[in-house]
Amino acid sequence: MIVENTQTQMRKGILEYCILSIIAKGETYASDIIAELKKAQLLVVEGTLYPLLTRLKNNGLLTYNWVESTSGPPRKYYILSDDGKKVLEQLDKTWEELLFAVQTAIGDRKE
Amino acid sequence: MNKTIIININGIVFHIEEDAYEILKNYMTDVKRHFSNSADSLEITTDIENRIAEMFSEVLEKESKQVIVEQDVNSVIEQMGSVADFENAENEDKATASAFTYNGGESRRLFRDPDDHLVGGVCAGIANYFDIDAVWIRLAFAVCFVIAGSGLILYIILWIVVPKAVTRADRMAMKGEKQNLQGFKKNFEDELSSVKQNLSNFGHEARPFVYKARDFAGDFFHHLGVFFNGAGRVLVKMIGIFLLLVCFGFAIFLIVLLIGIVGFDAMTFHHVFPLSVFESRNMDAIVVSAFVVAFIPVLSIILLIIKALFNTRSINRSAGSTILVIWLVALGFLVYYSVKTASNFRDGATFMQTINIKARVNNTYYLKINDLKYFTAEDSARLNIKTLFNKNMSVIDNDDNIDRELDNVNLSIERSDVNQPVLVESFSARGRNYDEALYNARNTKYIFTQQDSVITFDPKLRRNREDSWHGEDVYLTLRLPLNAKVVVDDDMGRIFGFNIYDCKVENKKENARAATFIMTDNGLQCKVDTLVTAKKDSLKRDSTR
Repeated sequence: MIVENTQTQMRKGILEYCILSIIAKGETYASDIIAELKKAQLLVVEGTLYPLLTRLKNNGLLTYNWVESTSGPPRKYYILSDDGKKVLEQLDKTWEELLFAVQTAIGDRKE
Repeated sequence: MNKTIIININGIVFHIEEDAYEILKNYMTDVKRHFSNSADSLEITTDIENRIAEMFSEVLEKESKQVIVEQDVNSVIEQMGSVADFENAENEDKATASAFTYNGGESRRLFRDPDDHLVGGVCAGIANYFDIDAVWIRLAFAVCFVIAGSGLILYIILWIVVPKAVTRADRMAMKGEKQNLQGFKKNFEDELSSVKQNLSNFGHEARPFVYKARDFAGDFFHHLGVFFNGAGRVLVKMIGIFLLLVCFGFAIFLIVLLIGIVGFDAMTFHHVFPLSVFESRNMDAIVVSAFVVAFIPVLSIILLIIKALFNTRSINRSAGSTILVIWLVALGFLVYYSVKTASNFRDGATFMQTINIKARVNNTYYLKINDLKYFTAEDSARLNIKTLFNKNMSVIDNDDNIDRELDNVNLSIERSDVNQPVLVESFSARGRNYDEALYNARNTKYIFTQQDSVITFDPKLRRNREDSWHGEDVYLTLRLPLNAKVVVDDDMGRIFGFNIYDCKVENKKENARAATFIMTDNGLQCKVDTLVTAKKDSLKRDSTR
């Protein structure tokens, strides 16, 4: 139980970082994000992504454009806003620090 | 062979098998319910719906078929994830949510707290809302309970309108994890969604524009929400609470009035003027329906304010329509009784009687008002008048206004052609028809007494207290012979509207308690004491010299 909890917490912490990173590459459609996250084994179902995207958008980190689709309704393509770019930079920095901390902490054990 | 249904997901039409449709519908209902606590519920569910539509289109195209079957729906749901999956993800969500919350302002939603309850969890919920200990709220309610039971009423109202914190999200919102006025925004978006639904049917070409407009509307209300959340929130809440208190006070007033009139025996009030119009046997029904007619709108306003203020859900539709029906029935009752009562005034009748007054040798009459209070035999027995007051004591009737139905006694003084002074009493009343009107007029009693030269008038016309008011009144005409002197005192003048002040001034006796009039050929006129006025004039002249 504790193990699971820690795992979810760890995954959780980097999920939004990963989403922002994926979107930072350029205009991204939700199912593309899902595909990437599935590949990274961070998220399994699509439904959970939409609340996250909506919240990030409402916090001003993302914006989106409507693009007409040949199959089905128009699609929302997400891009990072200026705020989002700043936050991502901070997160990059934090991630490097974390990476350093983790590597330092486990460094001896792994060798 | 299977039956298919045509469905429309955000403007795209699909043929779907009935079984598959049931599964899809249940799934979407679950999803909508799951996100219903979120401010962005509409946006999220629309995103999900759009994505489902897209997946359906892909499946149909890839397998080049025309109908969605159960298997397709199941695979789509699998890909989208069940509500249970969302819940797991959301628990993870909460941990990091605060990290990205820029718009700070953490405020709470009012819920009933099922974890810490004595009765319905209302007190604990309020305590959570204001972030104080539940003991103080409970104490306040206990104190309010003593004050006309207002605590109890408030508690019951809150119990009805405040939702119980059911889900984990509710509990977190209750303890202050979400932005406020979300409900306001959500309501708006709900209303907007139906409009959008129509808009999206405008056609394929217009759609990008419509979607942009929708996003703009969403953003607009989001920022509006943020604005209210910050600057306006405190002010709006204060005004709301003030209105709430006013309405609440009024509701309590109505309840106290109802209990006063119906509970403590209508006897006490029903002969007081505005109520005495109605027949006493219908009294309770009239009072109760009047109460309902007045109380329900007040209650609705209270519920609305609570809803807007504390972001709670409104009462469900069936309860609302039941209340509306009750209100209409009560209104119907009231109108029925009003019309019925009005018909009691259709016809009028008058009868007269003449009473001889003993002529006095000095031809002077003192007119006085009877200020003794009369008791009915019933009241006298109830109040123990005989044992409490000995016979020399009298009870003064000093409630001038409460018992007097309009001005039902009028007095005029005229000249009589004969030497015998008389009092002509002309009783009139109204009723459903002439007979009834006459009966009503006869059913009254006017008391006046003569003792030597003092004639005492009663200030009011008496009638059976149990009967309703039918516009009974009496015109008194006192006919006095020529040169009769009439002494009218202050009370008499005040009640029957004689202008005795001018007469006092004329006689230079402003402080006198009575004025004297004399009957002339032209009617009653002020008797000017020439001796007094002349003497005073001469004195004045003396002093000026």
